[in-house]
Amino acid sequence: MTWTTVAKFDELPEEEGVCVVAEGRKIALFKIGDEVFAIDDTCSHAEAQLSQGFVEDCAVECPLHQACFDLRTGAALSAPATEPVNTYPAKVEAGAVLIEL
Amino acid sequence: MSEAQESMTTERKWPELGPCRVPAWVYTDPELFERELEKFHYGKCWNYVGLECELPKPNMYRRNFVGGRPVLMTRDAEGEIHVVENRCAHRGSPVCWAQQGEVKDLTCPYHQWTFDMAGNLQGIPFMRGAPRPNPGMPKDFDKTKHGLTKLKTHVHEGTVWASYDHDAPDFNDYVGPDIIRFLDRILAGRELRLLGYSRQLIPCNWKLYFENSRDPYHATLLHSFFTTFGIYRADARFNVTPQPGGHEYIQSFLDPSLRETRSDVTAEMKTLKEGFTLEDMSVVTPYDEFEDGIISSLQVFPSLFVQQHGNVLALRHILPKGPQSTELAWTYFGYATDDDEMKTRRLKQGNLVGPAGYVSMEDGEVLAQVQAVVSQNPATQQIVEMGGRDNIGPAQTAITETLIRAFYDFYRREMNL
Amino acid sequence: MTKQTISSLRTELRDLYDDYCAALDEGRLDDWSGYFTDDALYTVMSRESFVNGLSHATMYCEGLAMIRDRTNAIRETSVFEPRTIRHFVSGVRVLKDDDLIEARANFLLSEALYNSEPQILMVGEYLDVLRREDGVLKIKKRQAVYDNFRIRTALVMPV
Repeated sequence: MTWTTVAKFDELPEEEGVCVVAEGRKIALFKIGDEVFAIDDTCSHAEAQLSQGFVEDCAVECPLHQACFDLRTGAALSAPATEPVNTYPAKVEAGAVLIEL
Repeated sequence: MSEAQESMTTERKWPELGPCRVPAWVYTDPELFERELEKFHYGKCWNYVGLECELPKPNMYRRNFVGGRPVLMTRDAEGEIHVVENRCAHRGSPVCWAQQGEVKDLTCPYHQWTFDMAGNLQGIPFMRGAPRPNPGMPKDFDKTKHGLTKLKTHVHEGTVWASYDHDAPDFNDYVGPDIIRFLDRILAGRELRLLGYSRQLIPCNWKLYFENSRDPYHATLLHSFFTTFGIYRADARFNVTPQPGGHEYIQSFLDPSLRETRSDVTAEMKTLKEGFTLEDMSVVTPYDEFEDGIISSLQVFPSLFVQQHGNVLALRHILPKGPQSTELAWTYFGYATDDDEMKTRRLKQGNLVGPAGYVSMEDGEVLAQVQAVVSQNPATQQIVEMGGRDNIGPAQTAITETLIRAFYDFYRREMNL
Repeated sequence: MTKQTISSLRTELRDLYDDYCAALDEGRLDDWSGYFTDDALYTVMSRESFVNGLSHATMYCEGLAMIRDRTNAIRETSVFEPRTIRHFVSGVRVLKDDDLIEARANFLLSEALYNSEPQILMVGEYLDVLRREDGVLKIKKRQAVYDNFRIRTALVMPV
């Protein structure tokens, strides 16, 4: 388990996702206020990028079929998804966004 | 509308003699055909859709038709059966293209609108627009209002039925107590086991097939295999009983001793083949599994004939494909409790019915012939007088056309003809 | 199994299938039943049933007696419009050459009726098991699996 720098905090858009690649994995980052959340970019239901999704109340809605996932826990909040997505610990240090893989 | 068609419409008046005459234009008129579909298949009627055992697992679906419209019979994750139209609410593409399958949900291939197994719209790709900030669907677009069309669904002892009209009467009231009793004779308390499918496309109007199936008179003459083996003979005992609502049942009492019997009745049956026998008699030697010696067929109007012929259990699903084209989809089944011997018996006796059946192959043949002739003679009339011109009651003989008259009595009332 | 033996078996099978089809096309039904072993299983089955592993067949003959009954019933009791049927067999291939031979072939049947031109009646595949009896190849099992979603009007003759 190592912390990896994946982005600069200032460059992340507000309330929107960004896809980064770390150790071969596609990860979606979301900046909510002062915090950053990191989850798997691929929806657990169909082949779609959650980083392209619509963010509301610390949840992301998949752009393809509107399945919602909790950004804190990765839990599937609504159909058609039933399986959660992976989450990764994330922190901001000296303007850099780090996630633990 | 051409002049010829116009004049045909104005001529559309039922013959004065009533249900003992059928005007030949009922077999060809495209406008009448559309009206029949609306009334019988998309109206307050219950249509057959399949067997529960065709969906052995959750999240399975199978395609079928109600009238001309494509539908899906589905089983959701909780095991409940649903019937929905196989027509995407978005742009009319069929949602499922394979005949059957096991899926996570119902996703239309065209734009990947996703529905759950009950037909509820779950997701629309790029509903919020893409890429940002392009607008997507209007903000007031309500997913709950754009699911697949749901049909009212009923499961009766392993058979699945659907109605487009959610105000359709209760299924049991629709078919009536007698039909329920004879359906249950072969269905109730049984776990059904699917044996297979045969389908045929007969170039005839669906009503010609109906008449044929309601006509035990022809069965004793056209199907000489029947008479030769004493399976279905004019000198046997019959119950031929019209039911309200367009349904009917026919029962004959199997009497193998008739094989050896000749009477004044058989003398009239020119097609009885003296000296013809089978090397393997198992096809005509059923085991009396219902312990009543009955051969039974019944009809649940407008879509299904249920046939128990010895040990052949077959459903004949009638699918009108056009004014002059009818699909007959045969589903054969047995019971989960059948041993190998019983299963083989059913498979062997399966030779009796179906598109190549010893006692049904002629039906496709004769109806194709009749359609080709009557379609050129729309002003002619069919004679349906055997058993009495006005008699639409039950009969204890096969030599009757009472069921055809009873059908047209019902049909005329429903169609205002 | 050398290339040579496969090739000669394939040729032998092609001859057998051509003769079998000629017997049916010419209405020599007794000759047709002669191509089967006494314990043969002959079925004509929809692809819909076949792919679902179902055993019901549109024609189901278990044993030569039932095969002959089919031919006798066609002659004695069946009523149908006279027709000319022609078989076309292609793609004959050997899957296994052992005590029992497994082979496959495609079939196409055309049907000509009064007042209409010949049409395709049926297309499908023969799935065969054959056995040599006194040096002569005979069909021990033939599943004629048809691709037609529906049979046109009725199936009168064997496939």
